[in-house]
Amino acid sequence: MSFTMETDIAVVGAGPAGLSAALAATNAGARVVVLDEYPEPGGQFYKQLPAEFSVPDRTKLDEDYTKGDAVLAAVKKAGVTIANETLVWGAFEAGELSVTRRGEAGSVKVKKIIVASGAYERVIAFPGWDLPGVMTPGGAQTLVKNQQQLPGSRIVLAGSGPFLLPVAKTLLGAGANIAAIYEATRPREWARHALRLWRHWDRIAEGLRYRRTLADAGLSIQFGRIVVRAEGADAVERVVTMECDASGRTIAGTEQAESCDTLCVGYGFIPQVQLTRLLECEHRYDALRGGWVPKYGGDMQTSVPGVYVAGEVAGIGGAYAALAEGWVAGLSAARELGHKVRDTALMSAQRDRALRRQFGDLVNTVFAVKPGIFELIADDTLVCRCEEVSAGEIRAAAAAWGARSGAVKGVTRCGMGYCQGRICGSLLEELTARAAGCTRAEVGGLSVRPPLKPVRVGDLADLAE
Amino acid sequence: MTASSDGDYVNNESKIIPGASVTLQLDGKPLPARRGQTVAAAMLAAGQRVLRHTRHAGKPRGLFCAMGVCFDCVMTIDGKAGVRACMTKVEDGMQVSSPVQFKPYERKS
Repeated sequence: MSFTMETDIAVVGAGPAGLSAALAATNAGARVVVLDEYPEPGGQFYKQLPAEFSVPDRTKLDEDYTKGDAVLAAVKKAGVTIANETLVWGAFEAGELSVTRRGEAGSVKVKKIIVASGAYERVIAFPGWDLPGVMTPGGAQTLVKNQQQLPGSRIVLAGSGPFLLPVAKTLLGAGANIAAIYEATRPREWARHALRLWRHWDRIAEGLRYRRTLADAGLSIQFGRIVVRAEGADAVERVVTMECDASGRTIAGTEQAESCDTLCVGYGFIPQVQLTRLLECEHRYDALRGGWVPKYGGDMQTSVPGVYVAGEVAGIGGAYAALAEGWVAGLSAARELGHKVRDTALMSAQRDRALRRQFGDLVNTVFAVKPGIFELIADDTLVCRCEEVSAGEIRAAAAAWGARSGAVKGVTRCGMGYCQGRICGSLLEELTARAAGCTRAEVGGLSVRPPLKPVRVGDLADLAE
Repeated sequence: MTASSDGDYVNNESKIIPGASVTLQLDGKPLPARRGQTVAAAMLAAGQRVLRHTRHAGKPRGLFCAMGVCFDCVMTIDGKAGVRACMTKVEDGMQVSSPVQFKPYERKS
């Protein structure tokens, strides 16, 4: 069996950006289908409970569970079709996306595409990062929010960025035992950016609420400390951290061990650009916004006519930027299709977007990854988890074959495994650039090929009929 | 969700009730789970942190990103290899096993 869908606008991803885009375009009169890989809509930010779980009294749930309610209700009311469990894995002809859904292959014929594929977490390799029990902060939050399962009995949070705070809050709210929180930056490094915060009181208030939650739990963040290794036999048993300076370089004699059975480490997010690359959109390297991002104009249209982007895929900026940007993309795409969209509506959405992006950029500036953290990666440290390639192999390949990410990937197989370079790709590019003394832009981003995620041959066989 | 001896379940004061009880077969042994749970969460609830061993170095791996990106949690589920435990919801009688890896090279350790 194979299936075909046809619509005006396909939105890829049902997180804040995608839902917002779908709602804006539907309200403007366009027919919209949202394609999303997960069983429930909402993306990572509005993560929903599994449909099989029941909630006797929804009013008793805290905002972790209900913050997406208004958007999801509006999307439902507007009659937007959301295709769950639908993976977009290919794009072979203009105006057509190849998908699989519950073991069935299909194609979606569209006039416009809005890519709202979001981001994934940036983890920077250290010895022991492949041990069971080491995971991403977002992964731990998803386990608790979506699965009602604590990741472990004694948890350490580490890395950098404001995202560690809501993760801590979610874990604490679920009764987790958090042993320590390590943040790579120090408040005094943020001070010079403080004045730029003045238009973002709502976000400051949110930050203060998190601080109170931590204080109530008797926890304080240990600033200026980074993970140098995780140790354990068959799973993580302890984490070793060191103090670092403002450039992320470790300070001798500051080593400290903390026992744990779960270590959550993340250094912000990386835009998930595999689909925009496959669609042949032009990309540029933007360190501030998380790495390679598609180029786009004020209407969120990329260099490929009819392909729009919104939210984290367009550059890391947070959920509020994603909501605003989705609205701009949805209105713009609908207008291009001939639907009536008032100039004032679009301009007000663009102003909102600019303000939210300004805050996102400020956060990105304050919590930018420090170079010392990459310098810490020793030659024998594993970089590619799928193909088991070490940093030394990447450096050797960069020295022998030149500072092109594609060459290093081809020689070492780093980035050729199941995850297709999502976890290691940015590390490969960074290590290659450092080994060769050139920029990330010169090294280039890893190329992508269909399928964008592994797809079963049997699922595709029906397409041949 | 019911309290467990190791205390790893969320204490939500019954605000959220997982689906009906089901039983998976993990390497032929029964593993209790609840509908709506992923295979990865059911294994973690049972204290099973190691999901597989890598094919070159034979190193243990567990749940890493929990959102379908990293593919570290791939297992063999109902005869299909390479299935993400974090993206697969449990079914009664589901057969789960740690993958028997294709070993193209000698293990390094």
